[in-house]
Amino acid sequence: MKLEREEILSAIYHCVKCKLCSISSFHPTEEWLPLCPSGRFYGYQAFYAPGRLEIFREILEGELSEPTEGLLNAVYACTLCGACYEKCKQITSVEIRLPELFEELRGVLVNKGWFLDTHRKIAEKIKETRNAYGEKDKYKYEYEAKSLYGTDVLYYIGCTARYRVPEIADSMLQIFDKLGIKYQVMEDEWCCGSVLLRTGQVEDAKVLMEHNIEEIKRSGAKTVVFTCPGCLKTFEKDYPDMAVELVHSTQLLTRLGNMKVKRLGMEVAYHDPCHLGRDLGIYEEPRAVLKEVADVKAMKREREQAWCCGSGGGVKSAYGEFALWSAGERIKEAKGAGVEAIVSACPFCKRNLREAAENEGMKVYDVVELVNRSLEG
Amino acid sequence: MNQNFLKFVHAMVGEENATDDRAICASYSRDQHWHFVPARNPAYVVRPANKEEVKKVLMLANEEKIPVIPYSTGINVRGLTIPVHEGSILLDLSRMNRILEINPAMKTATVEPGVTFGMLLEKTKEYKLRPAFPDAPLTVSVLVNYYLRGIYQTAAADGHDHTLSYEMVLPNGEIIKTGSRSLSEMPYFRYGVGPDFTGVFCAHPGTCGVVTELTAKLYRLYDNKKVYFIGFDDVSASTKFIYNLMHDELAASIRLVDNQSWLKGICGTFDYRYEELPKFVLCMLVEGVDGIFEAKDKLVVEYIKESRGKVLEFPEEFKRTFEEESLGGAEKSCMVFGLRGNYHCIGFYGPLTLAARYYELHEATALEVGIPEDHVHFYLDPIYNFHGQLCYVELDIFYDGSDLEFGEKLRNYNEIQFQRLLDLGIYGWFRPYAGIIQPTVERIGYLAEVWKKFLKVLDPNEIMNRGKLF
Ligand SMILES: Cc1cc2nc3c(=O)[nH]c(=O)nc-3n(C[C@H](O)[C@H](O)[C@H](O)COP(=O)(O)OP(=O)(O)OC[C@H]3O[C@@H](n4cnc5c(N)ncnc54)[C@H](O)[C@@H]3O)c2cc1C
Ligand code: SF4
Ligand code: SF4
Repeated sequence: MKLEREEILSAIYHCVKCKLCSISSFHPTEEWLPLCPSGRFYGYQAFYAPGRLEIFREILEGELSEPTEGLLNAVYACTLCGACYEKCKQITSVEIRLPELFEELRGVLVNKGWFLDTHRKIAEKIKETRNAYGEKDKYKYEYEAKSLYGTDVLYYIGCTARYRVPEIADSMLQIFDKLGIKYQVMEDEWCCGSVLLRTGQVEDAKVLMEHNIEEIKRSGAKTVVFTCPGCLKTFEKDYPDMAVELVHSTQLLTRLGNMKVKRLGMEVAYHDPCHLGRDLGIYEEPRAVLKEVADVKAMKREREQAWCCGSGGGVKSAYGEFALWSAGERIKEAKGAGVEAIVSACPFCKRNLREAAENEGMKVYDVVELVNRSLEG
Repeated sequence: MNQNFLKFVHAMVGEENATDDRAICASYSRDQHWHFVPARNPAYVVRPANKEEVKKVLMLANEEKIPVIPYSTGINVRGLTIPVHEGSILLDLSRMNRILEINPAMKTATVEPGVTFGMLLEKTKEYKLRPAFPDAPLTVSVLVNYYLRGIYQTAAADGHDHTLSYEMVLPNGEIIKTGSRSLSEMPYFRYGVGPDFTGVFCAHPGTCGVVTELTAKLYRLYDNKKVYFIGFDDVSASTKFIYNLMHDELAASIRLVDNQSWLKGICGTFDYRYEELPKFVLCMLVEGVDGIFEAKDKLVVEYIKESRGKVLEFPEEFKRTFEEESLGGAEKSCMVFGLRGNYHCIGFYGPLTLAARYYELHEATALEVGIPEDHVHFYLDPIYNFHGQLCYVELDIFYDGSDLEFGEKLRNYNEIQFQRLLDLGIYGWFRPYAGIIQPTVERIGYLAEVWKKFLKVLDPNEIMNRGKLF
């Protein structure tokens, strides 16, 4: 266990069951806006943070000794979005780092051999193919050909942009090209390990981390750029310090300043990815970049209290219906803001939101796609 | 029987809405009051969607003599939804969350158990109306708060009776309607036929049945509002001022708190020089329609001068927060948990004349059992129309919930303090919860017998959540 038993129990004992973590701050809008996707979807107390903490307590105290269906669902059907924690700490100022605790809880379960088959299968796929989708062919982008080994900037593409949402990687590579930034991609990029860490399969992630660390060291890069906040978070929080700078695409673009972009004449809403916003505190840069190219309208739940797209924490793979419902709620909210597109800064969000937006008349983009479009070629 | 029981219940409420899964049950095993009411899991959790389903489940439970604990939002803070008996059904009513009616002309709302204060205000504010809010998180159930007799609230002017009538399913499946609801489709009058049954079924240690809908009073939202914070060095220095305000019915919201606890939530921040303020702060809000508002405010200013209290110049933001929390539902008040992690209180009703004595007793007993002085806090909330100088009083102790030894001190404190308060004189406890009720029934004579018999008639098999009494 990363956290000590006493530390966990103390955090659990600090939860006073007020359930304020289930809604966003009320007074700014005086609207009842749910915040916890899993609780809202499943309804039982077990799916809200306070109930899940009680389950953790009973496991630590040896009261729960079987991996019942309810136990597995309560533990794994949580997107680890961290919205509950943001609200809890604002009100109670109590240090109950909820997503961290829930991740720890999964670790405890995995050690007992209590995991979901779906998650185990992902681990097996990763073992076999080094990517989370079990894709055997290494997909190469046209622009990857311009990758220059030894340059300062390395773009870590990540499994989802590489195999499921290639337009994001494509756009990022084209942006480098249009802006005249020399870049490299990894010769042999392995999954960062995020999905394994988030689903409690900590040991399996180690080999991936070791490989990526070696590759990055060898590349000589000084800056590693990510379009995937999940990968960035994993490198920031779980990898040892590699003495390289780790930045998100939107941070890099903000830094570059005047990019000579043309405005697209679109009205869009920005969806904060949980790993980028709540985990890494990056709220301003994506908005700043997006404002350069489009009119950005606010949704009701934003920043620390943004509604999760529903795909994180291993939920998309194991609880498809729940994941899609959560994304559907976000699409409804974007519609309410009167925009034509919802824009995120994460391939995982884009994938799930896009699926939910099908037939809804709402377009879904990543920030880098719009920037690429608006850059003079 | 057990497997069959669940099979029957599944047929009544749908498979996904009833379970005996150990882990799901475990999530209902404790509330914030665990130092006094230890964890216990229900054997089943059942989530009905409507009163027909409630009725079917109750009748089956009654037949099988299985204890039932209604649970609406589960934030009761007194261990009230923690099972007393093994094998209990936790009846989670949160799916029943419809606002059945908002009647602006009658100034009423009719709600199901899962409707929270936040949900209700969202709709009533369209009519410039609001419910009477407790100083509890606005995630709690309106119906339960009123059914439990949550008569202390953030706006003193609302008085103490917000319930007009309700509908309740009894263990035998019979449905009782109280007040004018029993006679007609008009649920808007508390006193229908015969005794005040609306009141008789309320505020038990435990429940008589399952309330499935309740009609409550709504109150006006005014455009004219003004907030004052007045400092006093001790409780007694403030009581004359409170008396004047209450007697002349001038302020909508009046709360006397010490400068280190609730005040932080009232102002909405931990970050202020609270320690430099006078020890007690009276937080007050004046409101009203044009003309009346100005007249009230003028008198308030005169009483402030006369009181010799110190007018505190707080930032505008603090005033706004107090206003929002008083008239729009409490959220920041939960910041008190951030002081040390948990809070213990003895809440009761008593006259303003004894306020200073209650506080002295609080300090003395706390020190006696080894609770440090800086853990001792106070909250007083006078209530209109102030007959009997009615106040809600709260003797608070904020502490680290993970400190098990402190839990022991609190239990000692309770044991001594319950008796001392009864000796000094109170009107009654805020809620008749575990521990507090036993020493009290000894003092209420034959009423205790009648009370027990009354419950026996309604619930002969004793299946309803009995609280921790009888
Ligand atoms: C920080 C804080 C401050 C608070 N301040 C106040 C305050 O100022 N004023 C105040 O009044 N309260 C206050 N409370 C207490 C709390 O608001 C109430 O006790 C609450 O309304 C009841 O909790 P609940 O609505 O979640 O009901 P639950 O916890 O669901 O139920 C409470 C009790 O009612 C029974 N019950 C539940 N549903 C039904 C039903 N449909 N029919 C019959 N019985 C039922 C349960 O069996 C149980 O006995 C505070 C709580 C907190 C956490
Ligand atoms: S807001 Fe925090 S203290 Fe309140 S129920 Fe949620 S996790 Fe517990
Ligand atoms: S992390 Fe997200 S889904 Fe999980 S309990 Fe918290 S708010 Fe709910």
